[in-house]
Amino acid sequence: MTELISEDQLLTEFAVREHRSLWLDAWRRLISNRTAMLGLAIVAIFLLTAIGAHFFWEYDPTVDLDYNAKLLAPTIVRSDQSEKIHLFGTDKLGRDIFRRVVHGGWNSLRVGIIAVSISLIVGGILGLLAGFFESTDLNGVEQAVLTSLLGLGCGALPAWIANQPFQALLFMLLGLGSALMSTFMAHRQNLRKVLFGVIGMALGGLPGLMVAPLVGLVCAVVGFGIGIILAKPISGKAFSSFTMRVMDIILSFPSYLLAIAIVAFLGPGLEKGMIAIGFVGIPVYARLARSAVLSVSQKEYVLASQSIGESHGRILFRHIVPNILSPIIVQATMGLADAILSAAALGFLGLGAVPPIPEWGAMLGDSYKYLSSGAWWAVLFPGLAIMFSVLGFNLLGDGLRDALDPKMRL
Amino acid sequence: MDMNSSAQQNNNLPLLRISNLQTRFHTQDGVVHAVNGISYSLDSGEILGVVGESGCGKSVHALSIMRLIQIPPGEIADGEIWFEGRDLLKLSENEMRRLRGRDIAMVFQDPMTSLNPVYTVGFQICEALMLHMNMNRKQARERTIELLNLVGIPEPTKRIDNYPHQFSGGMRQRAMIAMALSCEPKLLIADEPTTALDVTIQAQIIDLVMNLQKEMGMSVMWITHDLGIVAEMVHKINVMYAGFIIEQGLVDDIYDETLHPYTKGLLGSLPSIDEAPGTKLISIPGLPPDLITLPSGCPFYARCTYRRDYCREERPELESVNANGHAVACWRWREI
Repeated sequence: MTELISEDQLLTEFAVREHRSLWLDAWRRLISNRTAMLGLAIVAIFLLTAIGAHFFWEYDPTVDLDYNAKLLAPTIVRSDQSEKIHLFGTDKLGRDIFRRVVHGGWNSLRVGIIAVSISLIVGGILGLLAGFFESTDLNGVEQAVLTSLLGLGCGALPAWIANQPFQALLFMLLGLGSALMSTFMAHRQNLRKVLFGVIGMALGGLPGLMVAPLVGLVCAVVGFGIGIILAKPISGKAFSSFTMRVMDIILSFPSYLLAIAIVAFLGPGLEKGMIAIGFVGIPVYARLARSAVLSVSQKEYVLASQSIGESHGRILFRHIVPNILSPIIVQATMGLADAILSAAALGFLGLGAVPPIPEWGAMLGDSYKYLSSGAWWAVLFPGLAIMFSVLGFNLLGDGLRDALDPKMRL
Repeated sequence: MDMNSSAQQNNNLPLLRISNLQTRFHTQDGVVHAVNGISYSLDSGEILGVVGESGCGKSVHALSIMRLIQIPPGEIADGEIWFEGRDLLKLSENEMRRLRGRDIAMVFQDPMTSLNPVYTVGFQICEALMLHMNMNRKQARERTIELLNLVGIPEPTKRIDNYPHQFSGGMRQRAMIAMALSCEPKLLIADEPTTALDVTIQAQIIDLVMNLQKEMGMSVMWITHDLGIVAEMVHKINVMYAGFIIEQGLVDDIYDETLHPYTKGLLGSLPSIDEAPGTKLISIPGLPPDLITLPSGCPFYARCTYRRDYCREERPELESVNANGHAVACWRWREI
């Protein structure tokens, strides 16, 4: 091979720093940050005690009752009222608060983690797609998938009215058909709309007629509208702005109020709480992911990967996703703190965990009435648990932000 | 088109033939006419220099060839881009994707941002190989080491596992060239590949591309704003101004028999070693016209020292000057 560079240059260009990956670098920065390590320690303690208690320290809240030992003050020595030591005291039913705080951690952290996962996965994917297709047009397959999903989503309404779930599938097929025949009558948009509207009317109305004439009429009207919507091929930009406007609508409700409304609709319970908190968090991640994608897609390496002929999926998941992970990881860590707090709030209002399941917020709600009778321990310890877990996640999130900030890199 | 004529086309026609290419961008302020009906052709193994000021449509026309213009706001309004007997503008997105990287490759201006920071350099080159050449990971890795060696990166077996931030600017551009050449494209579009590098590295990169061109026999389109760089390396030159080609021809014709006042201005503004110290650099006064409201006459009218009133009435078309393809778009080229 031709020798193209001189000896000197070999020397200068080889003076580079040792090989380190991005994540290893971030980890080193994280452990050199004291407050972040404090946060990590707090989070680790909570996680370990909660997991340990759940698996190795059996607790059945339904049988844990001891009226003789109710509202005992914290003590580290055996007293005459109870033969057991109650480190954090007991509550109004004589249950050991230490045990309930530790076991409550399992529930509170679980709510936090699952709620954040829901918002992260749904919001992240929506934001990712919205950001990517803001400036890229959909190709045939993507068009077909999206239009089918749109059909499925819209079809859920007449399916719900007529109580015929298969209707949603019919509308999904209509959407798919519309996408596959996108060039069919492309020059006569109005006629195309009317045609699809009529098909939609038939798909909505006929199954509705089997239930009642009025239902059939309503479903036919709805179906007509859906047909018209499906007749128009969606562009990437339209998809993006539609998604983000839906996110704006969710954001326009006060988040606690929306979560309470969802739980009120679904009914109380730990799982319902997770869904409610997770749903409320979706727009945060969607917006974050979208804005990150928008800035990363302007980078030349995305253009470069396009110029070597990579497909949309590859560009999105190989090149864009890894580059937007840092802000999302930071937000998710901070979001955990938020979700734990929201879970506690729902629990306090009696909408989250159902008694007697131990949960920090619910414990506060159970015991605050006894503050006036001097039982400070019944609210102090669950309160401290909430406070420290939130603090821990916040400190860790702050530290992660510093560690993952690409501006600190070379 | 039947089989016969398409086969004939492959034999006689140039590798790339562009006719009347028009690219626009629809912005809030109006329609930006970035490329306004340019036509030229490029043969196999030829090196073409595309020169002009910033914002004269050089990069946009290159991106139009690759069909990498963002649509919307962009739009390729008209024209044909014939590459090996196929009109690229009529291909489906999937066919186009298979062609990018394999038949036409591109090197971008800024080596700092054109490599993905989260993957090793080797991984990114392997990706192109696995995509187009049906190689498995092991073969791709071996080929990548060869390529890195070819573009002059020392100790390629070690450097293949480095991240882009461990490479210097010049090395990154070498890696980008390795990536572009990985699938042995027939046409390499180099979009100001040396602008972001300092002068010594610039010379190395130019040497590198020229040597590789000789070895692999591909065509090269070298986009730059520096007439000095292209003089030594290209066969043909297109001078662009405000989205038009205003002068084109063999490199000797352009340098020795410069016809268009704009090309004269560009050549005159090059600093020369022979000049006495303290001599002022000559510059072309004024700015290129607003691409939203293009003048109806000659686009260079406002800055031209040879202008006449009739120049603003009608736009001059490219007019052939000699048999070697030298052409100029100026009403007064015979007089000046």
